[in-house]
Amino acid sequence: MTRFKEGLDKALEWLCVVLFALLVVTVAWQVFTRQVLNDPSGWSEELAKYTFIWLGLFAAALMFGERGHIAVDFVVRKMPAGVQHWIGVFGQLVIALFAVIVMIYGGYKVSALAWNQNLTGLPVNVGWLYTALPVAGVLILFYSVYHLISLLRHRESALEEGDPELI
Amino acid sequence: ACGGGFESPADSGDTADTESEAADSGSVSAADAETVYRVAFNQNDQHPQFVSITNLGQRIAEATDGMCSLEVYPNETLGTQKDTIELVQAGTLDFAIIAGPLLENFNTDFAVFNLPYTFDSQEHQRAVLDDPEITGELFASIEDQNIAVLAGMHGGIRNVYNSIQPVNTPEDLDGMKIRVIESDTNLRMMELMGGSGSPMGQGEVYTAIQSGVIDGGENNPSIFANLKHDEVAPYYSYTQHLMFPDYLISNPSVLEDMDPACNEALFAELPAALVEEGQLWVEEVEASTAAAEEAGAEFNEVDLEAFREAVAPLVEESLTNETTQELYDKVRAAAE
Amino acid sequence: MEVAALAALILVVGIFVLLILGIPISVAVGLSSALAAASALGFENGMLTSAQQMFRGINNFSLLAIPFFVLAGVIMNNGGIALKLINAAKVMVGRAPGSLAQTNVAANALFGAVSGSAVAAVAAVGSTMGPLQAKEGYNKTFAAATNVASGPAGMIIPPSNLMIVYSLVSSSSIAALFVAGYIPGILWALVCMLVVYFYARKRPELKITERVSIGAKARIVLDAVPALLLVVVVIGGILGGIFTPTEASCIAVLYSLALAFIYRAIKVRDLKPILLESARTTGIVLFLIAVSTVMSWVMSFAKIPAMVADALFSVSSNPYVIILLIVAALLIVGMFMDPVPAVLIFGPILLPVVTAFGMSPIHFGIFMVFALSIGTITPPVGPVLFVGARISGVRIEDVSRQMLPFFGVLILLLVVVAFTPALSMWLPTLIGLA
Ligand code: NA
Ligand code: NA
Repeated sequence: MTRFKEGLDKALEWLCVVLFALLVVTVAWQVFTRQVLNDPSGWSEELAKYTFIWLGLFAAALMFGERGHIAVDFVVRKMPAGVQHWIGVFGQLVIALFAVIVMIYGGYKVSALAWNQNLTGLPVNVGWLYTALPVAGVLILFYSVYHLISLLRHRESALEEGDPELI
Repeated sequence: ACGGGFESPADSGDTADTESEAADSGSVSAADAETVYRVAFNQNDQHPQFVSITNLGQRIAEATDGMCSLEVYPNETLGTQKDTIELVQAGTLDFAIIAGPLLENFNTDFAVFNLPYTFDSQEHQRAVLDDPEITGELFASIEDQNIAVLAGMHGGIRNVYNSIQPVNTPEDLDGMKIRVIESDTNLRMMELMGGSGSPMGQGEVYTAIQSGVIDGGENNPSIFANLKHDEVAPYYSYTQHLMFPDYLISNPSVLEDMDPACNEALFAELPAALVEEGQLWVEEVEASTAAAEEAGAEFNEVDLEAFREAVAPLVEESLTNETTQELYDKVRAAAE
Repeated sequence: MEVAALAALILVVGIFVLLILGIPISVAVGLSSALAAASALGFENGMLTSAQQMFRGINNFSLLAIPFFVLAGVIMNNGGIALKLINAAKVMVGRAPGSLAQTNVAANALFGAVSGSAVAAVAAVGSTMGPLQAKEGYNKTFAAATNVASGPAGMIIPPSNLMIVYSLVSSSSIAALFVAGYIPGILWALVCMLVVYFYARKRPELKITERVSIGAKARIVLDAVPALLLVVVVIGGILGGIFTPTEASCIAVLYSLALAFIYRAIKVRDLKPILLESARTTGIVLFLIAVSTVMSWVMSFAKIPAMVADALFSVSSNPYVIILLIVAALLIVGMFMDPVPAVLIFGPILLPVVTAFGMSPIHFGIFMVFALSIGTITPPVGPVLFVGARISGVRIEDVSRQMLPFFGVLILLLVVVAFTPALSMWLPTLIGLA
């Protein structure tokens, strides 16, 4: 499982890097066609938006893998180690619950609902766009189960490793 | 340090429940009805559609003696128009007011009403939308996708405005970049009308005209005046190219599950709401036009026949099957 | 009505309990909102609506400006541009009392004007200025306090990702918010300089010995011009209506990339870690935005903002009293929470309150961002404070105590900004954006 997690991390990292680079190139192209060629490209804005959604959701999943999402943990830090441990376990269960009921189940439901809706000007149906949610949800579920097991085997500490600041 | 000058909240009207202003007449309060159905709406609480549907809710409350009413949620707070259609389908929301072109995603035949010069006037549009002979089958066609179309509403008449000169014929638009809503149809339409279409978000249009990135836009007089585009693009020409309707939609099972008295009141009061909406539009356009003239805008009539001919190829291309051709012919026959 | 009250209760209690238990903020907000939606709509529709609104939250072209400005900032940090800006700041400050500390403040402001990350500014400028100040006899703790206190100026001076996040919750123009931030952001730096001035006046030993020739000065300024030109291109481009904010953010990426390659500060193989670092921030921020959209939906559905407004107005109908209450609330929230989730959670609740007495959403945005920026330098949760203390090798408790005079003037300035719309609104009105 650890090896699979490391492989998944690597794959997601590369995916994020490639999607981010694609995003820069697409928007740069849009600016170029609008400012220089004076002929705005119609597809680039849509492509950029959906690249961005997949980038954002994959990167969010990756951050669940790294336990890097920010949390307000100054109360938990003051608790005894035993309590911290069980709070950490509870935290991963909450993340798993969120991934399952909102992203996977809710994402599947809304995707199915919109499956016949054809957005004019796009080659895919609206439901297809929503599949980004359940896909990211499955990744997040995997990571939370992984951390849950690691916590129960005391291979990980209870607290999240948050970034010092966002933006 | 107090150089501010804020108003007391009491002076500016209680924004916490603006809907009460429109609905608090009569003895029965719409807000306190036993069942308050939610209506999602994307524009503000001054819009003719907001006001007329809010008043409809009040009348339903009175007719049913407080059993049910409607409450309109303005400003996209319950989602974008596309979202709110999905939420109506799912049964999360009871009603939504949405722009006509969005229904093309569910049945492409709706496109007929969104073509340039389909309608000659607001009255013509009203007559067509109220005529079950013309709209009945079309409106019923998406019920199997859980969308019940209750009524078509007037959504304003779009005209071209620009910063350079009054427009009389398609030739006058030559070389002008006009902002359009992003879609292939709109880009093609603007090209046929003589200009070139430039899709961009409404929020950027003012500065884009000001700096000369584009030369103008196309919209109804209300938006033209409210967004102060009259300051940067004072030439407003009545090209009347688009008059696509908005629709009040619901979910068929919401209508079925409604108490029969409520259902009856809804459909009994609806026609009056549509008449009121039309009148409010006329008043709104008059007021906006006056405000824009005050700000220095000039309004002019155009050679309508020239524009109608110019976009004829687009209309022809869009009538792709028998149903749409038939529908279009009926609409045009109603104009005679 | 009872359905709405139950949803409100689940939302508020759920978020509070999950946050206290150290659950990631995004999950605390997302799960509580989804359960609140389910209580009103049933499980299936509650989850469907939550997923749909998550998607809606990030399905927005103008959001692209966030990853791009983050990326441009990361490239700048790797580009050795900080040093050039510090030198330029030194020339600007001249031989004023406490000039090295003054330089630190000016450099943080300049760095913020081209990058926008307070943490990056504090780390880059502090690590260079700290040793210099130690050599000249500055108290190490005071040097760290100055560095930390002036760091957030760059979050208010544009470009600012926090303003882009606020523009989402308030539907206000990014360009107008950017311009509105200039005066309050520069004032932030100036009041820090004032504290330094009074501190150094009593310590004559803190004066600069080194003299710089006019020629050298000119060379230093010229050296920083390409970096500062970014401000002209990006902000000038937005204000001139040449670029949209999203396009401008992409230009900022290309420009900083070109600059970094010309300065030979980064190589092609550095691009992967740079993109990955930016993607990490993007992932966290986007996820927060996604779940906050669900929360906003539930709040509108249950009419929570109207309830909060009614409750506040029942305390007092005097706008100044309510503004002071909001100032206190935002300072307390900022003590514990990062500004991004704080804007996303509290923006939609407080905005209807302040607009009810005629405050412009642009003015409120500046006031809110200002208040929450103070939170980034206060204990117990202060990312800028933590990084600044670590860089200088001093204890957080010691820096915090040394920062008391800075807190004093900044809170005073916050009240002035809140009560004086002109400080925020004058520039955007002048340019015709508000
Ligand atoms: Na900045
Ligand atoms: Na803090």
